[in-house]
Amino acid sequence: MLPNRSRTSVLVFLLPPLLLYGAAVLFPILQSLFLSFFSWNGISDMEFVGLDNYVRMFFADDIFWRAFLNALIYLAICLVLQLGGALVVASLLTSLRRGRELIKTLYLLPAVISTVAIAFLFVRIYSLEPVGLLNQLFQWVGLGALERPWLSDVNTVLAAVSAPEGWRFTGLYMLIIYAALLAVPKELEEAAVLDGASRWTLFTRIRFPYIRPVWITTTIMATTYGLRGFDIPYLMTNGGPGQSSELLTTYMYKTAFTSTDFGYASTISVFIVIECLVAVGLILFLLKRKADS
Amino acid sequence: MKNLFRAAAAAAVTALALTACGGGNSTDPSNVSPAGEIKPREISWLLSRPADGAVINIMKKLADDYAKEHPGFELNLITTPDRPSYIQKLETLAAANKLPELFDTDATPFAQQLAKQGKMVDAEKLLKTLDMYDDYRPAALDYQRFDDGSLYMIPFQFELEFIWYNKALLEKAGVGVPKSLDDIPAMCTALRQAGITPIAIDGQDQWPLERYVAYQPFREAGPDFIQKLKKGEAKFSDPAGQKTAIWMAELGKAKCFQDGFSAQGYSDAQNHFTSGQAAMYNIGTWELPSLATDKLNPAVRNDIDFFTLPTTEGSVTAANEFVSPSGIGMAVNARTYDPLVSDFLKFALEKYPAEYAATGALSPTTDVETAVPANATPLYQKALDQAKDLGEKQAMPWDTQLDPTTNGRLQQELVLLVQGEITPQQFTDTMDKTIAQNAPKFFK
Amino acid sequence: MITQAAAPPTATAAVTPPQPGRKRRRPDLFRTLSRVLIMLIVIVQVYPLAWLFVTSLRSEHDFATGDPFALPGSLTWDNYARAFETGDLGRNILNSLTVTMGANVLIVLLGMMAAYAIQVLGFRFSRLVRGLFLVGIIVPVQIALVPLFIDYSAVNLLDTYQSMIIPLAGFSLPMSVYLFSSFYEYIPNETYEAASLDGAGPYRIFGLITLPLSLNTVVTVVLVNSIFIWNDFIFANTFILSEELKTIPLGLQNYIGAMGKVDWTATFAAVCVTITPLLLVFLVLNKAMIQGLESGATKG
Repeated sequence: MLPNRSRTSVLVFLLPPLLLYGAAVLFPILQSLFLSFFSWNGISDMEFVGLDNYVRMFFADDIFWRAFLNALIYLAICLVLQLGGALVVASLLTSLRRGRELIKTLYLLPAVISTVAIAFLFVRIYSLEPVGLLNQLFQWVGLGALERPWLSDVNTVLAAVSAPEGWRFTGLYMLIIYAALLAVPKELEEAAVLDGASRWTLFTRIRFPYIRPVWITTTIMATTYGLRGFDIPYLMTNGGPGQSSELLTTYMYKTAFTSTDFGYASTISVFIVIECLVAVGLILFLLKRKADS
Repeated sequence: MKNLFRAAAAAAVTALALTACGGGNSTDPSNVSPAGEIKPREISWLLSRPADGAVINIMKKLADDYAKEHPGFELNLITTPDRPSYIQKLETLAAANKLPELFDTDATPFAQQLAKQGKMVDAEKLLKTLDMYDDYRPAALDYQRFDDGSLYMIPFQFELEFIWYNKALLEKAGVGVPKSLDDIPAMCTALRQAGITPIAIDGQDQWPLERYVAYQPFREAGPDFIQKLKKGEAKFSDPAGQKTAIWMAELGKAKCFQDGFSAQGYSDAQNHFTSGQAAMYNIGTWELPSLATDKLNPAVRNDIDFFTLPTTEGSVTAANEFVSPSGIGMAVNARTYDPLVSDFLKFALEKYPAEYAATGALSPTTDVETAVPANATPLYQKALDQAKDLGEKQAMPWDTQLDPTTNGRLQQELVLLVQGEITPQQFTDTMDKTIAQNAPKFFK
Repeated sequence: MITQAAAPPTATAAVTPPQPGRKRRRPDLFRTLSRVLIMLIVIVQVYPLAWLFVTSLRSEHDFATGDPFALPGSLTWDNYARAFETGDLGRNILNSLTVTMGANVLIVLLGMMAAYAIQVLGFRFSRLVRGLFLVGIIVPVQIALVPLFIDYSAVNLLDTYQSMIIPLAGFSLPMSVYLFSSFYEYIPNETYEAASLDGAGPYRIFGLITLPLSLNTVVTVVLVNSIFIWNDFIFANTFILSEELKTIPLGLQNYIGAMGKVDWTATFAAVCVTITPLLLVFLVLNKAMIQGLESGATKG
């Protein structure tokens, strides 16, 4: 703490950021909570309906539960691709002696492209007629049986819309983990190698525990970004076919801006906020507990 | 504004509540010739038409001409060609009471609510005052009407939807033009056996598949079916509804549409047809420049023809009655309607048809002759001639009729039905339940 | 274009692996394997971009009828001409720049101020405020759409630059506060004490010590946030109407014509044009950004 600070100075520095943050983030959350008790289509009068929206959401809306489940699967796929991919590549990269910088840059490239462009691109990649890249690849390697319209098949569409999201940010997380891996003290590793540790034990016993704090941060980042996934499913399939790739976020958006059911959309928003808080709480709880044991 | 004010005020722990809301002093929507002086200013038209299309280009030009006589006038055209995004913007702007002087909308339940609240100028009166009402094709105006027959939107186009087909491919599969809608599934099976995609469809934009679900009920029960269905007065479990549910499932089973159609876009579908891979393609006269001119792939140019919507046995509608939309219509905001808007509309609507017909398109009016472009194939004139012989009834696209929630659900369930993921019975149950849930809110 | 320029070096790196000099157990198999794996992943990351660029040079007809993934028979710049004709790419880019810069100024300035108040000045409820900011990292941006839409229409902010900048900055602020405060932890207290003894107040200390020292973190914050803000679709799509204010992601949607008809090759050309500015900045400042990311993350 600075010795000669005044209350005014704290306020001068704190108020402007809080004001923006309050207006853009905190106040809308409160407003959503408020709206969730109303039925309102934007042009009619607002009508107080108590907990009706919540009852409808939990007990009478099959799409809601489907979207919730989809959102979890979407999250799982993104996490595996982003964190798993990032960890693997980062580990491999540390064993590389040349071209690290170049590869780091290339990995980050997809992150700079707008999601609209990515959606356009992947629609072509998954396409069956005209045959897209993915199906063509399967043909070439003799797995023609796997050919399918990835975005029309209810069994594959969710994975197909999750993959681009995972793909675009793998590089970002890889960088963070890579930096953490570099910071692992060489003496520790060398001592372990002298003791005859295999690469696997080296990784699980020395490297991973060392980067655990970074791993937690990265996991939280990836989880929250995964839970706010929207653009790519919305643009690629608009939730279809049926509700196979509907996420909570896209469902909320459609409820609000297509069905103009602002009250119910706010109810879903409130659920999303709680879902995210619970998810992050869980991650902290699980990963911290492991670290303590 | 009142609602917003309430929303903000009630929610607000904040200064938002202090916002002065100047209440919507709606003018009388039936007063189509406001008195007073014409004061030129900038007016806006929120539209959903292609950015470089004929309507926008002509209206821009007419606005420039008008501005020459009325310095200070400007027409600001704000277009969102992507229809779902547009509808979203329109609905949210209406909720915010921020609609501009002119805005596009179909005759949707949402628009009807706006009309009921006195937010739109009565277009029938407006056209009658301008002495133009009788120039319009009745079908073009009917397309814009709400269920109660009232007219609040002005059409700028007139289109006919046909099923285009490739004669050579049909011949190869040994099938002829279908006599009845019920022939189509068997026809698809034959085409598939010959290794041909029967129908190319744009699944991504949803409306093309929704056209198909409208066909059987239109033939079986006439245009009233959808009017009743959307209010919950008719059901999918009724005979006409069952017929379409089962027929759609049959189309799917016969693999009528290209594989993976639900993720295929507009251009893909058209390319599929024009490259000679697909035998049929259901599209309107707005595609004449691509399908009936020398722009069409030479390899298929001589094989392309079209037929109109087939009838069925015992059909209550005639062969010359099918989908003939006059496109999204233009509504006039009652709140901002003043002598200037009125005078500009008079100026523009009078000059528009001639300009539009000169581009080779069908005008919504009958007082001008469409100019067939120099590079047209004979099919172009044949297509235009169909407009001269239309029946009284027309099949309305369902996406303009249903409430938005039901519409969204129908589009989703249709894909599942055609892909064979759900049975016609499941489809019927889900849709009837959805309509029962949502229709009352919109049509009370 | 970038991908093309970048391709040759990687290719050569793959063909001539450096001879391992050091002695290690089982070095070769593992190394070759990991190298092959890395190359494969690089291809997966880069190929789609290369394809995008190549496609933007194909003729419309070639794209529609030919095999879209084969190499094109001939190259044409027509798509670029059409892309510029149909859309207003220059304006879209300018708008994206305005929004990105506006939001970044807020994020950096306010982020520093909040971090300074929390970390350096300190006050009774600083833990609570820090916790409040954490909420913003956690909750998805979509929840703000409906309320903001209502608020904006009440205060006439719909369809303005501010309507995009405010939520974009608001939701990025927590990360910025977090990065700045974890950096401020590393500025030793003695620095401040010395300055205080010289009679400097909190404002002078901020301006003379904290601000100049933060420059590296500023670069990180700006670059990371720019990626998200530049590509924002959801706020722009919800709040923006006029052609004049459309940012790049909305501009790209302009290539969707009547009833959903898309001019693909022109769209891809437009995509190539619009990613170029960010790509250039990214390549130039790439080192700084990577360093910032690495240090920011490992310190946290």
